[in-house]
Amino acid sequence: MSFHFIKDQDFADFLTDLIRAKIVVGPVAKTSRQQEKFVFARLTRVQDLRLDYDVTILPPKKEFFPAKQDLLRFDGPRVKACLEPVEKVLFGVHFYDVKALDMTDALFKEKNEDRNYTAHREAATIVVSNIRKVFPRAFWASIGAEVKPRGHDAWLTQIVGGCVFETGTLKGEALLKFGRFSEASADQVAAARRANEDMGKQCLEQLKGTSASNAKKVRAAFGKEELWTKFAEDCFSCGSCNTVCPTCYCFDVQDWWNIDQKSGARTRTWDACLTEDFAKISLGAGAAENFREERAERFRHRFMRKAAYLNEKLGGPACVGCGRCSAACTADIADPTTVINSIPEA
Amino acid sequence: MAKPKVAFFDFTCCEGCQIEFTNYGDPVFLELLNHVDVVEFREAMSEKTTEPIDVAFIEGSFSREADRPRLEEIRKRAKIVIAYGQCASTAGINALKNHTADYKKFVYGKDSEMPHLDSQKVLGIDKVIKVDYYAYGCPVNKYEVLQIVSHLLHGKEPVIPNYPVCVECKRQETICRYDVGDYCLGQTARAGCGAPCPADGIPCEACRGFVDKPNHDALVKVLSKRAGMPKGWAEDKSRMFTANQRGDAK
Amino acid sequence: MSTTSCSCANKSDGRESQENIFLPREAKIVRVEKTTEAERIFTLQLADKSQMKFEPGQILEVGLMGYGEIPLGLASSPTRTNTFDIVVRSVGRVSQALNRLQPGELLQVRGPWGKGFPLENLRGHDLLIIAGGIGLCPTRSLIQYTLDRRQEFKRFILFYGARDPQQQLFLTDLADWRKSKDVEYQETVDKGDPTWKGNVGVITTLFNKTKIDPGTRVVICGPPIMFKFVIRELDKLGVAHPNIYVDLERRMKCGVGKCGHCQMNDKYVCTDGPVFAFSEIEKLEEAI
Repeated sequence: MSFHFIKDQDFADFLTDLIRAKIVVGPVAKTSRQQEKFVFARLTRVQDLRLDYDVTILPPKKEFFPAKQDLLRFDGPRVKACLEPVEKVLFGVHFYDVKALDMTDALFKEKNEDRNYTAHREAATIVVSNIRKVFPRAFWASIGAEVKPRGHDAWLTQIVGGCVFETGTLKGEALLKFGRFSEASADQVAAARRANEDMGKQCLEQLKGTSASNAKKVRAAFGKEELWTKFAEDCFSCGSCNTVCPTCYCFDVQDWWNIDQKSGARTRTWDACLTEDFAKISLGAGAAENFREERAERFRHRFMRKAAYLNEKLGGPACVGCGRCSAACTADIADPTTVINSIPEA
Repeated sequence: MAKPKVAFFDFTCCEGCQIEFTNYGDPVFLELLNHVDVVEFREAMSEKTTEPIDVAFIEGSFSREADRPRLEEIRKRAKIVIAYGQCASTAGINALKNHTADYKKFVYGKDSEMPHLDSQKVLGIDKVIKVDYYAYGCPVNKYEVLQIVSHLLHGKEPVIPNYPVCVECKRQETICRYDVGDYCLGQTARAGCGAPCPADGIPCEACRGFVDKPNHDALVKVLSKRAGMPKGWAEDKSRMFTANQRGDAK
Repeated sequence: MSTTSCSCANKSDGRESQENIFLPREAKIVRVEKTTEAERIFTLQLADKSQMKFEPGQILEVGLMGYGEIPLGLASSPTRTNTFDIVVRSVGRVSQALNRLQPGELLQVRGPWGKGFPLENLRGHDLLIIAGGIGLCPTRSLIQYTLDRRQEFKRFILFYGARDPQQQLFLTDLADWRKSKDVEYQETVDKGDPTWKGNVGVITTLFNKTKIDPGTRVVICGPPIMFKFVIRELDKLGVAHPNIYVDLERRMKCGVGKCGHCQMNDKYVCTDGPVFAFSEIEKLEEAI
């Protein structure tokens, strides 16, 4: 681990060279009716990179676990796996998304490792950027403090005159050759630490309680049906909260044929536990059993998963406070701070 | 093995869904003809058939009692009947007529009393005959139709989504219409189209109808609260394509 | 990494399948028996003729490219070598396609996955298996196992309930079990017909037919509704909950604890189960 410094005037050259040498994915703007949002996309030129972004519509998870991914391809009786990981640099990831990636890493790795995720993940270099603008719905400063960001390769922090670039792995070190870096001074390192710490004060939405106390009270509220029914009254079962979540990783698998009707693929797509048919099985003759038939049950399941079920496995809640679900929910009922704060203590 | 015989029929509709099929100018779609034998399709050929058929695509709503025998006759001949497009599936936009009385005068003016303009309450064809599968949409999504045909060729039930359009918007990072001060019906609309409208900056009008259990009360709330629609308007807003699926269906 | 081919995925060590948890192995259909109107028993053999290694109660993902995969409990015992059985009930896209297959044709299997019946806790005790409907399929693996290693168990009692006589599965087995001295076999149907001479009533009516010692190890597999009533009877008999094992059904999709569909409370049925000690899940909401 070492600390480096790059001057503002050298930053564009660094990135230009990096883009020339590698596939670099970073936050870029996307607009509709003058409204500016951000997405992770492949960079072709430096000026597209927007490290002043607040949050991206989808988390960077999509780079390793895309919304649609072929698991197998077939041609007649021949079946092939399709693991073709591409080396890339994810540049400018916020620390809360790094925490989430670390969680999905663990979940895809545990028990039966899913190479369709881990192979892509291993091929990536992740560069964190300090948060320069706080998303109004974010609450990362008040959730899961015990879970530290891990698994990134370098951390870039903007201070006066340039950026401190902290490398944590060999993959991170390997990026140094693309820019004019000098050793960071103790003052610069301290300034970078302050820049990261101070940002938390601007993160206004607050989750009350500790991870443990919240897990306990959410878990204990399982049987309070009237509570969940009320929470879910305006739920569309649209799965937007799931689809934009950096720690959601459920998927559906479907087979299909190409136009030749001989070859085709087995493809997985993101699934969402809020949607009506998520836990439904067919019993034949038109009969079916839905293990979470009511929208209140599905709404509750999401909160159990985010606040309680996975905590032991992940060392904290499966929520990093990015605020994407709060913003994506048109009925505005998905905000974890509102929901969890309003659940009475066990 | 002989290629399955496929035929197209139309009732009360604009035939746009059939046109959608002829829009498959792309060689990849023409290749479908290697796998099916189209025996009747008036948009593209003059032949007609009275023979048994494997798959009947029926476009259009049931709007006149006089159409019943023809629907029943097609059903009798067809192994599989697909309600092709929203008019056939739920009566789609045609069902708006069920909510108005003055449409004939409004549309045809002085000719409005011509007897062939007489029609009754408009329904999806499944109110008359058994429908095996539904290709939703106004118009249908040709890629979905291709998959429906492909699945049927292999004796596999087609996969039709029962989740809302929001899923497809989010997957492709489309900026939500509500975030730009617009309205949208995507939260209750059946997906499967790939959500091209919001991606193009146009609200979803639910042209594939509702999902099985739409939360319409919540939609009305969101339309008035976030899109600023007056209450009555918010309540009526979703009717264009879902008149027969709403609580106030006639 | 380069693309891996499945044409060699039939290696007996399943090494390639381990590298990619979604890559299946090929299996050949040795025999198909139509057991009811909707169900077929398939006897399968791995295409490379190697042995399928599994434990009674484990699941197998069975599939056909283009159609998909479904999770099925292995329906034969690993003590019966060379081939293995599955039962396919026509309920959806994959099962309907599988049930059109003929002997000699190939299908794909992935697994075995999940936790089976805890043989170490069953051995040396009385064993009661309670199977309702299609629940006989995964338990048949344990039934065969127990019959093959009969000396490892004390009393062996089997309750089987079907909706009506036409729904009874494994008719040859049932005939054997009725005659066998190795198993105390009791059966019932919810609704009889003129040919049916046996017990009529729900499965719990079979508890009146025999005496069960409280130390008995019990295995239950059947429709969700059955569990509650059976466990109420077992409570009356004083069977301790850690000695009751339930084989649960959920929407298992991937079979490897990833896709989320079979999650029930904080458990994944496909990897934490499908067999659970009742004591492990009785306090879990959404379980029973």
